[in-house]
Amino acid sequence: MEIAVEAAGVSKSYSGKEVLYGVSMTVGRGEAVGVVGPNGCGKTTLLRILAGLEKPDSGEVRVLGRVGMVFQEDLLLPWKSLADNIGLGLTFRRAPSEEVRRIVHALAEDLGISQYLGLYPHQVSGGTARKAALARALATDPDVLLLDEPYAGLDADSRASLNLSLSSLARGGTTMLLVSHQLDELLWLVDRMYVLTPPPARVRAEVRLRGMDWDERKRAILEVI
Amino acid sequence: MIADVTRSIPGPWRTALYLASADPAVLARAAFITLRNAFLGFSLAVAAAAILTFISRLSPLAARYVLALNTIVQSVSVLVWAIVAIMIFGVLSPVPPVLVSAAAVFPPTLSNFLEALRAVDRRLMDLARILGAGRLDEFRHIIVPASVPYLAAATRSGLGLALRISVVAEAFGGSGGVGFMIVRSYNLMEPAGVLAWASLLVVIMVLMDGLFLTRLVGVAERWRLP
Repeated sequence: MEIAVEAAGVSKSYSGKEVLYGVSMTVGRGEAVGVVGPNGCGKTTLLRILAGLEKPDSGEVRVLGRVGMVFQEDLLLPWKSLADNIGLGLTFRRAPSEEVRRIVHALAEDLGISQYLGLYPHQVSGGTARKAALARALATDPDVLLLDEPYAGLDADSRASLNLSLSSLARGGTTMLLVSHQLDELLWLVDRMYVLTPPPARVRAEVRLRGMDWDERKRAILEVI
Repeated sequence: MIADVTRSIPGPWRTALYLASADPAVLARAAFITLRNAFLGFSLAVAAAAILTFISRLSPLAARYVLALNTIVQSVSVLVWAIVAIMIFGVLSPVPPVLVSAAAVFPPTLSNFLEALRAVDRRLMDLARILGAGRLDEFRHIIVPASVPYLAAATRSGLGLALRISVVAEAFGGSGGVGFMIVRSYNLMEPAGVLAWASLLVVIMVLMDGLFLTRLVGVAERWRLP
């Protein structure tokens, strides 16, 4: 399998406090990989480094192609409608407005939020806002999708609905790296999972889950947590 | 004679009577001229501050020059701006009150813009970067709208300042406006006129704040990122 994302010995510290220490991992093309670990163990920092938003102190990062990212907070612009938020990246890339409209509507349709496209972020539920943030990341057709705590702050229904959308993406071959501490949702979704230690974070275990049913996945992860 | 005028402060009743007996067309014209001067001066200051804010983002050196320019403009007295503008454009020109308002409003507006820029959520800049925004896109789609809640608050104080300064500049020239009418009443030894015109200015400011600026700030607050 071609490697789409690779982190090799990545370390990062802030004000002398080590957050990541020699983290190494890979994500194959078309693979959905999860990263779990205790709160504050540097999962978000790792994702920001992979997205190119921060530089590691040491180690190497390689990402093939364009990155899309869903941030922990939805970061929908309050002054734009959901449709304009979803099409933001395309607007930045000077895509023709007809193309932007077509892509935005197609994504909204896939994610079941087309009826909200004309509304503003403060007018929609947390689940819809999160899906809009996901649609915005997908609109630019990224080669790798990074998701930071995609289930955070959502109720059970919204989590389930979002998970269905993400599963559909995973089945469609979207390369995804998700960090979360919602183990159940991730377990259901990913092909492989990395478990990080408390800070300074290192990879404690790598669990292969592809082809396993729910009980086998649960057993496999419980063995290392 | 001047001493007599300054010592005879009329009561509210006489001031109200003066206002009631004044020609409404004259009142409206003076109020219109002052409001026009204030709005134009404020708009000019906002435009200049916006351009310089954009320039200040280009490099740390540009930011230092913008700050230095702001300090220089801020250091020049309104009196100097008024006299120089009248020397350049003439006493009857409508330009000096506009320019003087702009010069007085520009420094706090630029400071507010720069502060708003600093206050733009770092997460939004990360988002812009991930989505491939250029500098102009960042400015247009992220920075300017994200600054709106701060700018609305700055507009509230900036327009008030523009109005007060415009009146001072009008007092020096002969182009009309509330400031011109205050000085005219003073020169005609009509203390009730001085207070009446000053009261009109207060009414204009209160109405502008209540009808427009407070609502503007309320609407702009919706643009604050949760």
